[in-house]
Amino acid sequence: MEENERQLRLTVAFEGEGGGGGVVTEPGALMSEQAIDGRVIKACQEGDREAFRLLFEAYQDRAYSIAYHFSGDEAMAKDMTQQVFLKLFTSIRQFRHDAEFTTWLYRLVVNVCLDEHRRRRRFVPFGEAPERSHGVARRPVEEHYRRRELAGEVQAAIAELKPKLRIAILLKYFEELSYDEMAQVLGCSPGTVASRLNRGHRMLAEKLAHLRGALYAGE
Amino acid sequence: MKQHVGPQLTAYCYGELAPEEARQVGEHLLACQRCRQEYEEVKLGVDLTAQLPARPAPPSLWGQVEARLEETAAPARRGPGLRFAPGWRPLAALAAALALLFVGAFWYFSRPERAARPPEVVRQPAPPPVLSPSPSPPDAGRTPSPPRRPGTRASFEVARLDGSPKVADSPIGATGRLGVGEWLETDAASRAQIQVADLGHVEVAPNSRIRLVTTRATEHRLSLARGRVEAQILAPPRLFIVETPSAIAVDLGCAYTLEVDESGGSVLHVTSGYVELEGRGRQSSYVPAGALCATRPGVGPGTPYFEDATGAFRAALGQFDFARGGARALDTVLAAARRRDTLTLWHLLERVDAGERGRVYDRLAELFGPPDGVTREGVLGLDPGMLERYRQHLRWVW
Repeated sequence: MEENERQLRLTVAFEGEGGGGGVVTEPGALMSEQAIDGRVIKACQEGDREAFRLLFEAYQDRAYSIAYHFSGDEAMAKDMTQQVFLKLFTSIRQFRHDAEFTTWLYRLVVNVCLDEHRRRRRFVPFGEAPERSHGVARRPVEEHYRRRELAGEVQAAIAELKPKLRIAILLKYFEELSYDEMAQVLGCSPGTVASRLNRGHRMLAEKLAHLRGALYAGE
Repeated sequence: MKQHVGPQLTAYCYGELAPEEARQVGEHLLACQRCRQEYEEVKLGVDLTAQLPARPAPPSLWGQVEARLEETAAPARRGPGLRFAPGWRPLAALAAALALLFVGAFWYFSRPERAARPPEVVRQPAPPPVLSPSPSPPDAGRTPSPPRRPGTRASFEVARLDGSPKVADSPIGATGRLGVGEWLETDAASRAQIQVADLGHVEVAPNSRIRLVTTRATEHRLSLARGRVEAQILAPPRLFIVETPSAIAVDLGCAYTLEVDESGGSVLHVTSGYVELEGRGRQSSYVPAGALCATRPGVGPGTPYFEDATGAFRAALGQFDFARGGARALDTVLAAARRRDTLTLWHLLERVDAGERGRVYDRLAELFGPPDGVTREGVLGLDPGMLERYRQHLRWVW
């Protein structure tokens, strides 16, 4: 493959040490989803490690966020994110361009999350919710800390939801997928997606009803 | 719209409905108290979900994925293994059960003829493997490791490399077992290798003393009292831990050496991946490949630095970390720092007094500027999100 045809490396000239600095390959800092196009995926299919890295940099945060909020555990989220990309890289040759790449990727994320849940619950508690304080609404703490505590409580409550409800909520919120896209990723009908989201959100509201005041304070 | 609109409420909240449908749902909500109550619940749930922060992936992830890709790319040590389509699983299980039944019946009915034979003729089942979550889910058709039976003692296999290493004060042969709570000791002429479940191995150098603290699905922990170990671990992060008298080394998927001297101080040298050094009451040190970090009893981990840092830089850092070197030592560190030494400067942000933090930040930013969204004010205020973003940004030069 011609070098100019691939153009996979993002380069940036650093200022600072030594005046003009050198040209350094820096995939992460400038990487965005827009940079992932058919050429990158094709290069991945040909085993190009640099292309893998670009792909990884573009999607790692999204995969990690879902894995983290799904498992409620940083170490597990790291492991699950690794699994997602290992599966992605080892099976990317099977990807056909007749499907959306992101749909395919999110399907891997969902499978890893649900597989991990099934596998780990046999050995150790999975997604065990951090303890909730039930005190957010009453404490006059600063906004930053109030929001952080609130997020902690929501995370704990989400970790208690059934896996299928949990993953639906996380996909909707973090990836903003449409119901049709979610149906493709989850392998169910859009009606089932709607039902899972409804149930999930209502259960969340039920568990965290005491936070209503804190959530809407200042509105 | 007379029909209740429960199933459409989440889509309504997310603005997913077509305008006409949304209008109908809105009108229904005005008239139907039941659906309005349900809508308020769903909306609360949606608004609560919106409180979840996005979590950036930790910087060490690519290194770990790459290491595992290497492993995948290497010639397969194991055969491809049988894979069953999901529908075949029950049949495979049934076949296995029938086979067991057949073997059991055969054994039962043939006992009288075999009674006179020596007992070793009867195959003993292999000792149950120590549970450890494998990096990837078990393949279809592969049986996951069974849980350890109550009463079965957890242990690691130990191989003698040189001399006569001892486990629990008894010399081992070519191989032995290191049980939970037992010490492995090597003298000046001995070396040994500990197999850490199925995660990797730890080579124990001469004059070392190390104990197996625990081994279970979620954690394998050794305690190094003195001497030197070289660990090569390929595992999910935080599964393998080595304690020393002055710090705890948490494996984030890597290879490293850890040396503990007679005083309990230690030096960690990471050769691949990342290690996190934790100490009581002190900020953790993230030590990437090519970097070292010293620890001292009563102090905890020092500040990590790269092995190719200048002598002046290293000496001043040692003074700052462990000899109350203060502002003078900090001056030297800042002056001698190269771009790669931003590893050290980033860690120093949280370790210097508030009055010195601005100097550290300015030098750090001079060597490698912060990413978008990270401000001087935020870093000086030790905003955790900004510090983490800056660290991720800096890893390109570490």
